[in-house]
Amino acid sequence: MFKFPDGLYTDVRIENVYQSKVAVTSGDLDETKVRSYRGAFVRVFDGERWYYSSISDVDNIQQEIDQLASFARPTTSIKDHPVVSRLQIHQNEALKFKNDSVSDISIEEKRRMLEGYSGIMDLEPLISSWKSVYLDKRVIKEIYSSKGTQLRFDSQYTWLQILFNFAAGEDKFMEIYARGSDVFSGITDKGAEISDHINRSVEFMHNAQPLKPGRYTVVLSPAVAGVFAHESFGHKSEADFMIGDERMKQEWQIGKKVGFESLSIIDDGNIAGVGYTPYDDEGTRAEKTYLIRDGKIAGRLHSGRTAASLDEEITGNARAVNFEYEPIVRMTTTYIAPGNMTKEELFAGVKEGIYLDTYMHGSGLSTFTIAPNMAYYIKDGKLAEPVHVSVVTGNVLETLGDIDGISDTLELYSVAEGCGKKEQRPLPVGFGGPYIRVRNMNVR
Amino acid sequence: MLKEKSYIRNKELSINVEQTKIDSLRRKTISKTGLRIYRNGLIGTAGTIGNYDEQVLEEQALAALHNRIPYPYELTKDLSISERYTSCIISEQSLPAEVEELLELVQREQPGFIFSNRVNLIEQETGLSNNAGLDLYEYDRYVELNLLFKETTSVNIYDGAVYFKGRQYDNELILKMINQICDAYKNKHDLPREGRYPVIFETGQLAIPLRKVITGLHGETFGSNSSPLSDRRGQQIFSDRFTLYQASTSADIGTPFFDAEGVVNEGYCYTLIEEGRIITPYTNKKFSQKFDLPLTGAATAEYDGVPTLGWPNLRIRESEKTVKELLGGRVGIYVIIASGGDFTHTGDFSTPVQLALFFDGERFVGRLPELNISSNIFRMCGEDFIGVSKDSPSELSLEKCLLIDMNVSKI
Repeated sequence: MFKFPDGLYTDVRIENVYQSKVAVTSGDLDETKVRSYRGAFVRVFDGERWYYSSISDVDNIQQEIDQLASFARPTTSIKDHPVVSRLQIHQNEALKFKNDSVSDISIEEKRRMLEGYSGIMDLEPLISSWKSVYLDKRVIKEIYSSKGTQLRFDSQYTWLQILFNFAAGEDKFMEIYARGSDVFSGITDKGAEISDHINRSVEFMHNAQPLKPGRYTVVLSPAVAGVFAHESFGHKSEADFMIGDERMKQEWQIGKKVGFESLSIIDDGNIAGVGYTPYDDEGTRAEKTYLIRDGKIAGRLHSGRTAASLDEEITGNARAVNFEYEPIVRMTTTYIAPGNMTKEELFAGVKEGIYLDTYMHGSGLSTFTIAPNMAYYIKDGKLAEPVHVSVVTGNVLETLGDIDGISDTLELYSVAEGCGKKEQRPLPVGFGGPYIRVRNMNVR
Repeated sequence: MLKEKSYIRNKELSINVEQTKIDSLRRKTISKTGLRIYRNGLIGTAGTIGNYDEQVLEEQALAALHNRIPYPYELTKDLSISERYTSCIISEQSLPAEVEELLELVQREQPGFIFSNRVNLIEQETGLSNNAGLDLYEYDRYVELNLLFKETTSVNIYDGAVYFKGRQYDNELILKMINQICDAYKNKHDLPREGRYPVIFETGQLAIPLRKVITGLHGETFGSNSSPLSDRRGQQIFSDRFTLYQASTSADIGTPFFDAEGVVNEGYCYTLIEEGRIITPYTNKKFSQKFDLPLTGAATAEYDGVPTLGWPNLRIRESEKTVKELLGGRVGIYVIIASGGDFTHTGDFSTPVQLALFFDGERFVGRLPELNISSNIFRMCGEDFIGVSKDSPSELSLEKCLLIDMNVSKI
């Protein structure tokens, strides 16, 4: 198909994209849109340096290969290079959504689905404005490499998001309901959930108390636990941060104890949902990777380049946000494995604490953060009045050690407008967990 | 039938740095074209990435009229403006060698640090025209340097960052900026006491301390009584030193001087808050008309989408004072990285500051431990607002410094 230059490793990723969108603001239809396009990303490696090109003119891929090759220095041993030798060869077609494609559902049906939820918002007089958005995307990727890979596979997401503004005199409150899936049916029939979310939001707005800032035992809902897993440890497990860094390698040694003995955090690109990544953007098959197993570091996430640098195996985590970017190490679906306490037992152990129910955003450096939206006091093991919290922070390693309870039921969430890393955002990711109890968190 | 065409052409050379060395080079050549058809108060849109046939786009946009998306607003017409923000910036061919030389110098002068991330040379053309005489065009070419650094002994993903966006590339000035920050980083300071300090943000970071104002001035939120600022139009609620513009001047790199509906403001600015008094929220044509508000030209649109109200670039009016003068003899806490904080619904603000440096107005003095800063939006833009400097934090940057008195404590 392409003429790959001698003495260099080359791969080409072509993305065939279908997307659609419906948006409604306070009952007015803003937009219905269907978009289809193709784009390509070309990589050339000479053993020393990578040369990339992103182009929207897919008829000129060969020309781009040749031009990038002209910058590189060919070497006869390129196939033996530790990065190149690790890259897998697959010749396969894996179109999971061939018969369940969002492109086969008419935009009219998507519009009917979204507008069908509008009546729920109209029933609540305290909603002063709202905006609902439906998004979907199916990408069929083709990967061709100079090692012989010829792959064609797909991934897909659907996303429903409703932003509510509530107003009662001086009281204003904003909350978001969002659900993601890999199929259209995953975001239909959500009326009861949306109504419940609205009712809880109204109750929160009326009754939320100012916070007394300080250190609290905090119980995280499964969604917030997912953000915590993603931000607190998931990003630290992305091995590109360790390349050539002896101090980091020492700190994050496999087998090192970092948390509560029942704590396990897993990343798995095989799980259905928006994090589903059957092959990554280097053509590597998805793996289930334990990042923490029974409280100890068990693995990390790799691209070919990082695996070679740390002399470990590739894990299928080289992902690009779209055809404009090179694959870098990213999570897929990352979650905390369930423990053995019931949710009730978890709460019963808290005399005075905070329950984080919903979140706005999270971040993860040495200090991770979660900005919750709806939070509640816990008093004598029971949920008490709602409370305004700006941000919950903690040192990653200390906080992992401060986990002292994990409930027994896993909930997974799909976030289509998900993760950002450096310049690449938003990448669809899955995350979740059970309810998690953490001592001594800084709540502001 | 009215027909409107928009396009974005983006060319970029991106140099990825790992371990203080060039790891990869990425070229990007992307063009996105959109076509809108307006008929009988409706809008139909179509677009494509890459090469296109205008006839096909027009047919698709015509077909999209069947979606019956209302657009009963008058199009901008009979306006032709072209802006070219060119400068003697570095060429694409010589950038890799220059960056390589920079990294060698950095390695030599800051051997205790590892640098990573990107240096981008970006060339962007944006255009909007219609058959009612509208023809707007902007060309820009600029450098964006965003280098993350960490101490070789650190277990963090990164410890700090050096950033600028500008139309000048000069290794000497970049090295000076890196040395100033890294030298200060090496000089550990404790926070002398917990309490109120002047906290300094670069104006490119307005979304951290002003997020509540930015979201509160959204025309739809404001007009529908959903904003805490909704009932305050015309009222003086902030300091009389606080004037806020919607801005798309040449200094606002990456923000074209026109919005997605072709609205062009005089001087490429629109005043939203004048000396503490709310003049208007920012609006597009829809919410200007719906809520009887001034039109500020804050529409955005995907290349193939319907114009909608976006998040415009905002600027606070600069004072006549330098940072040093604004500090008035005090030492300020200069925020390099503050990630993850937010406001409560009642306007209270709190954020961790992962990296802050003491700054005396002219130089960075030393590194502080991780901090928490907090306040309330009405105090931050009111009695505790100190001002925006007339000088920039570096000779390469077009940003200024925003100073606010805030509560500071150790995490």
